[in-house]
Amino acid sequence: MTVRTLIRVTLVGALCCGVATAQTPSPPPAKKPAPPVKVGRTTEKLPAAPQVVTIVHRLNGLKMFRLLARSEEQVQAIAGLDAAFNLLDDVHTNVIAGLAMDDGETIAAWLPEADVEFGPTIAEPQPPRPPKAPRALAGSFPQIGAGLLDGPDISVIGPDGKRLAAKYVGLDAVTGLSILKLADKNALTAAAIKDEPVNTGETVLVFGPEPATKARALLGGNFYVRMGAIEGRIQNVLTAPSGEVAKFKINSPRFSHANIGGVAINEAGETIGIVDGLEGSEASILPARLIRRAAQRVLEQQASVPRPWLGVQGEPVVDLKVEQILNHGWELKRAADLAGKHRGILLTSIVPGSPAAQASLRAGDVILKVDDNEIQNAEDFTWWLDQAGPSSSVQFTVARPDRLAEEPLDVKLSGLLDPAVSFRLRNRVAGNRSFSLIDQGIETIVLRPPVASQLGTTAGLLVVYVEPSTAAFEAGLRPGDVIQSIDGKPAARFKPMPQAASFTFEIVRKKEKLVVTVANPSTKK
Amino acid sequence: MRKNNCEIIRRELDELMLDETSSPAAVEHLRECAACREFHQKQTKLRQIVGGLGTVAAPPDFDFRLRARLANEASSATFHLTSTYWSFARRGFAVAAVLIVFAIGIALVRNVMNRPSEIAVKEQPAVKPPTPTPVETQKPAVNPQDFSAAVPENSPQKIKKERSAQMTAKVRRPAVAVDFSSQRAEVINGSVAASTVFPIDASLQSLKFSLDDGRGNARTISVPTITFGSQRVLQGGNQFAPKGVW
Repeated sequence: MTVRTLIRVTLVGALCCGVATAQTPSPPPAKKPAPPVKVGRTTEKLPAAPQVVTIVHRLNGLKMFRLLARSEEQVQAIAGLDAAFNLLDDVHTNVIAGLAMDDGETIAAWLPEADVEFGPTIAEPQPPRPPKAPRALAGSFPQIGAGLLDGPDISVIGPDGKRLAAKYVGLDAVTGLSILKLADKNALTAAAIKDEPVNTGETVLVFGPEPATKARALLGGNFYVRMGAIEGRIQNVLTAPSGEVAKFKINSPRFSHANIGGVAINEAGETIGIVDGLEGSEASILPARLIRRAAQRVLEQQASVPRPWLGVQGEPVVDLKVEQILNHGWELKRAADLAGKHRGILLTSIVPGSPAAQASLRAGDVILKVDDNEIQNAEDFTWWLDQAGPSSSVQFTVARPDRLAEEPLDVKLSGLLDPAVSFRLRNRVAGNRSFSLIDQGIETIVLRPPVASQLGTTAGLLVVYVEPSTAAFEAGLRPGDVIQSIDGKPAARFKPMPQAASFTFEIVRKKEKLVVTVANPSTKK
Repeated sequence: MRKNNCEIIRRELDELMLDETSSPAAVEHLRECAACREFHQKQTKLRQIVGGLGTVAAPPDFDFRLRARLANEASSATFHLTSTYWSFARRGFAVAAVLIVFAIGIALVRNVMNRPSEIAVKEQPAVKPPTPTPVETQKPAVNPQDFSAAVPENSPQKIKKERSAQMTAKVRRPAVAVDFSSQRAEVINGSVAASTVFPIDASLQSLKFSLDDGRGNARTISVPTITFGSQRVLQGGNQFAPKGVW
C-alpha cells in the first residue's frame, strides 16, 4: 500500500516536472558543441577504421527546391509550405561515410545529393576567369544572402569525433564521388588502400555512420551519431571489358540503402572500396583503384569533372525483341539478324544539338563498337565512353536501318555532370520550345500565391539555379529571386519575340522589386 | 421480454454491414419499436459518415517508421519483466522514480538560476572578440600556399569554415516537434567496432510541402530532417548511374 502510494506521488511529481520543463523556454544555444561522448566498447573487437570519416552535408530550403525541380516528382507548382520555412535555413542533413585516402589529406565520399550543388546543363571545364560585376545590380540593390551562393555546406568529422577543416574540391561525375581536401595534412592517420586483387569469399566490413538513437534520447537536442560496421562477404568480382576489376559484389542480409556510401575494409584493415549501389542484399563496391583515379581527375582539374556526354537515349539490343527493333525502321530479316547477334545499343532518341546530333546519329541506329571495342551491353558502352573521357573524340561503328553496310562515324564527345537530369529538364520544357528558361541556364519552380506570400512576394517563378556562365547570371539574376514577369507578361505564359535583343525580367528580391535585363543569347551572336 | 428482444435486434443491427439488409424479424421489430428504429437510424447515419470519409493514405515513410519502431520494441522486449520479477522490482522502481524527480527538480532549479546571467550576457553590447576562438583547441597546421589562396579572408568559404566550426550558432528551424521518422531501424548491433558518439547539428523538424502536379492533384511531401548513407530525399533515381542515357 505504502509503495503504491509512493509510486503515485512520484508519478504526479514527475508529471508536474514534465509540464514545467515543457513550458520552460529552452535556453539559448550552447556556446560550445557538446564534447564527444565515448561509448563502451563491444566485446567483439573488429579492426579499427582510422581512414573512415563522417561527412555531414546540409541542404537549405533553396537547394531543396532545386532538388525538387530536378527530381522525377510531377511538380507543376509548390502549393503549400510549412509556416516556419525559410529559404536560407537548413532543412535537410545527410550523414555519410568518407574515405581518407592514403595521402592523409584527400577525402572521397559518395554524397547522394552532391549534384544539387551544380548546374545540370553546362559542365565543360571552363578556364578560370575574373569575376564580372553584375550589370543590373547597383550598390543600392539588396544583395543575395551568402547562403544562396555558397558552395556545398559540408563538414568532415574525424574518427575521434573532431571536426576537421576541409574544402570541397569537386565532383567526379563518372563515379559520383565527391572529392574534398583537408586543411591539415596530418589530421588523420593514413591507412593502407588495397588496389588489387580482391578475393571471392573474403570477409569485408562496411563502415558508415549510423544514428546513436539512445544517446540522443538521453542527451536531447542534437542528433548523435557513431560509426558502425556491417560484415559482408565478397560474392563475385566483375571485370570491365578491358579486363580490370570494375566492381565487386558483397552480400549481407543486413544491408540497407543507408549502407550505400559506406567504406569497405578487409580484415587486415585495408580499404578495398566504397559501396555505390545496392540490389536486395547485395551491395556493389567501387574498387579502390577507381576511387584513386577519380580523386586524381578532380585534383588535377581542381574542379568538378563531368562525365562524357553523347546526348542519346537507347537500349541494349540484347534486351530487345525483334518486334521492338522493327518499330525503329528495320526490315524483318535484318532486325532478326541484329537481335540474334546480341550486341550493340539501339538509339531511341537523340537530343537536338548534342554531340550525337552533330555527328548525324539518328534514332534507330545501332552502335556496335566504340573504337574497335565490341559493345555487348549498356555497361560496356558506359565503360568505353568513360574511358574515352569528356571532350574526347571516339569512333563508333554503326549499323543503320537504311544502310546494308556498317559505317564508321567520328563523334566528338561533350561533358555533363548529370545527363539524366538534363534529359528530364529538357523533356519538361519540350512543350514550350519557343522560349525556355532552362535554355537560358535558369532553373525555376512555380510558386502558388500562398507560398509566394510566405516568401515575401506574390505568385511567380522562384529561381532555384542560374548557370554562372550565362547571360542571365551576368545580368544579375540569382537563385532565390522570384521572377514575376518577363517583358511585362506573367513569366509562366511568356512568348517572346524571336529576334528580341534582350528580355526584361521583373523580379522580387528580399521583398524589393528589381528589373534585370538579360541579353538574348540567340541574337547575341 | 421486450427488452430482451430489443437487445437481440440491436445486436443484429450492430453487426450488419452498410449494404446488408436486416432479417424479417428485425424489420418487423423495427416497425413496432420506435426506440430501436431511432437506434437503427442513428447507427446507419453514423456508418455512412464514417464510410464517406475516404481512404487516408499512409505517409511515404510509414513503412520505415513502422520497421524502426518494431526494431526498437524487439530490442526492448528482452527487458520485459515477468510478474514474479515485478513484485521484487516495484520498490526499486519507486526509489528510482523518487531519485529521478529530485534530479529533474535540481536541474530545473539550476536552469532557472543560470538564466539571469545569460540574459545579462545578451544585454551587453554586441562586441565581437577580435579573434574568434575556434571550437577545436587544436589549430590545423595550414600550409598558407595551399589554402590561403583558395580561401581568402572574409570569403564565403572562410565564413563557411568558421560556420562549421561554430555549428551551434547557426540559425535552425524551430524545434516544434521532434521527428524520428528519419532514423532507420538499427541494423548494427553486436558487430559495431569501438566508436565515438558525436553530435550532428541538424534541424529537428521535418519539412513538409505540398505539390500541385498541374492536373488538380495535390500531394504532400515530407522531407526527413536527416538521412544516413545514400538515401535520396526525393525520387530521382541514381543520378550517377542513369540507365539508358548517355
